[in-house]
Amino acid sequence: MNKILVVARWEFMEKVKSKLFLIGLFVTPVIILAVSFLPAVFVTQEDKSSKVVGIIDESGQVAPEFARKLESEYHLSNGQPNYIVRIISEGSLDSSVAAATQLVVRDEIEGFCVVTKNPAGDTLAAEYRSKSVGDVVLSSRAEQTLREVVTQVRASQLGLTAGAVKTLLSKFDFSISKLSKEGEKEEGDFMKIFFKVLIFMMMMFFLIATSGQILVRSVIEEKSNRIVEILVSSCSPTELMSGKVLGLSALGLTQLAFWALIGLSVAFQSGHSVILPSEGLLLVLYFILGYLFYAAIFIGAGSPLNTEQEAQQINTYLILLLVLPVMLATPAMKDPGALWLRVLCYIPFFTPTVMALRISIQMPSAWEILATSLLMVAAVWVAMVVAGRIFRIGILSTGKTPRLKDIVQWVRTG
Amino acid sequence: MLSVSHLRKEFDGTVAVADVSFEVRRGEVFGLLGPNGAGKTTTIRAILNILQPDSGTILYDGKPFSEAVRNAVGYLPEERGLYKKSKLLDTILYFGALRGLSRTKARGEALRWLKRLNMMEHVQHKVEELSKGNQQKIQFITAVLHDPPLIILDEPFSGLDPINQELLKDIFLELKQAEKAVIFSTHQMDQAEKLSDEICLINHGKVVVAGALRDVKRRYGSNALALEFQGDGAFLETIAGVRKAILYGNSAELQLEASANLRDLIALVNERVELRKVEIREPSLQAIFLEAVGAALPAGQEARA
Repeated sequence: MNKILVVARWEFMEKVKSKLFLIGLFVTPVIILAVSFLPAVFVTQEDKSSKVVGIIDESGQVAPEFARKLESEYHLSNGQPNYIVRIISEGSLDSSVAAATQLVVRDEIEGFCVVTKNPAGDTLAAEYRSKSVGDVVLSSRAEQTLREVVTQVRASQLGLTAGAVKTLLSKFDFSISKLSKEGEKEEGDFMKIFFKVLIFMMMMFFLIATSGQILVRSVIEEKSNRIVEILVSSCSPTELMSGKVLGLSALGLTQLAFWALIGLSVAFQSGHSVILPSEGLLLVLYFILGYLFYAAIFIGAGSPLNTEQEAQQINTYLILLLVLPVMLATPAMKDPGALWLRVLCYIPFFTPTVMALRISIQMPSAWEILATSLLMVAAVWVAMVVAGRIFRIGILSTGKTPRLKDIVQWVRTG
Repeated sequence: MLSVSHLRKEFDGTVAVADVSFEVRRGEVFGLLGPNGAGKTTTIRAILNILQPDSGTILYDGKPFSEAVRNAVGYLPEERGLYKKSKLLDTILYFGALRGLSRTKARGEALRWLKRLNMMEHVQHKVEELSKGNQQKIQFITAVLHDPPLIILDEPFSGLDPINQELLKDIFLELKQAEKAVIFSTHQMDQAEKLSDEICLINHGKVVVAGALRDVKRRYGSNALALEFQGDGAFLETIAGVRKAILYGNSAELQLEASANLRDLIALVNERVELRKVEIREPSLQAIFLEAVGAALPAGQEARA
């Protein structure tokens, strides 16, 4: 036990001083925040100058009202109208579209709406065309305005008074709130939860990926310069491996604590309670289990290797395993109770991340938490035993990289 | 202190060590010699319990391996490696702690050894800032820091300049006087000859020559002739009465037949080259090595032990 602590202390102290760790400590949160928030910031950025929007109106009923509404509703910060509407009418629909397209190509207008009738003339369809369809703000405002105008036209056709139409179209707000287990209303809408989930999963991903790489690198360094001979003549391979995992876990937790501190202080500043204590504890539990599980996997996969290049390849595959749940975040939020999501919870590779996902969206039942964490404990234990057997032989094998067949043999005979 | 008997180890059907036995006592410097691939490293690894032998026993003070043995052994591997980015004192303290030393004890010992090896000016340096020779001295310190009764040094002299080689030789004598058992391997036979009390020469996984150095030399006879001369000595291999000739540029070691007439032989040699020195002596370890291993290596190229 004593020697495990000696190894753990060394691994922790040496790595905590390394540039790689310090960079990761500060750069990772910046990257995570950038990836999570920058797109939103750019999308919602206000325009600096008026934009010209075209409209082609086959029905002949909506264009003037659309122009009036869009121009009067939205303003730039200097009070000028945000949008200037240009009604395009070149005889036939086709020639109007062709002319408008030319205007877009020449950058004279930002984009244009085409309002068409169906042959019977009773329904309308609209389309927005632009070079930058990613400008969500403009397209959604155009859509919103167009809907209001169409409704207005139809309402007056039905004989409603202008006042009645106004009442009909008066705005109402719609927001989404998450209820906790106890039925209390929590702060946070879809986007907030989405970012919370994303940030947590990316943190987990970064931590496991960087720690795994640190681990594999240190093993390969010790193998290539033969320090490992001194190490395993001083302590047993099991002690060495346990010490490394322990030291690295301490490192990971330090990093996590540091990030949590930053996150909480930011949250405190902005007055949001982001994570409930019970939620936080569970997340940490799954985090530790997942961390240990992947540490074992990285050791098992890394210790038979001899060069950094080989390690890089293995890392790539392992990181793919970690990225997968991040991609599942959006579908999982739509249906947090989905069967496929519950099944994924019982595959140890995904348990921690998927459970973290579910906890953030909708707290799973107590027995599910118990079952998956017990499963994870068992998985960590099995992974550690297997990794230990590979490690014991792997760290002393040099020269030819062993084949999978050999490694299976090591595990069997251990 | 250490007793190895009938050690055997195979790797995937290749026999690395077939049958090796020897004893190392306290207060003794033991030379483990043998050409490349003889099974020397495998033997050392088995002693260190890094790998398990297929058969045979290794006893430490009459007892099998236990965790306590780990702290009783010091080891300098042949391939030199240290953590490049770490400070050298930290590195020494780490290896000391791994051998069971307390931090304060390790620090005191580390400073004592650094002083002894003239390394004090580097105490605050990182390992990567040191020369190769100095890195090797650090490794040597990690092998002896915890004052182990059994010290195993693989090629301790390679990479050291003559001054540090002398320093290390002095330390060898001190360790011997302190009743340590020192096992070392080297490919420099003159080094082995000067330092070893006992030798064990292995080849193809088997012991070829073993015993106290003087007994070994006596066994190989005393009729060896060392010559120094000027001229072309190639003919020495072919003259009558010479069993074997090891030629260097301006000197040669001849092993003579029992029947050889020394006076005639010297006269014969004197006719062909200009002799400067003639000495009758025991065969050198180099000669014994070459004869035992059976492969005559080109002059100047030393066999790796």
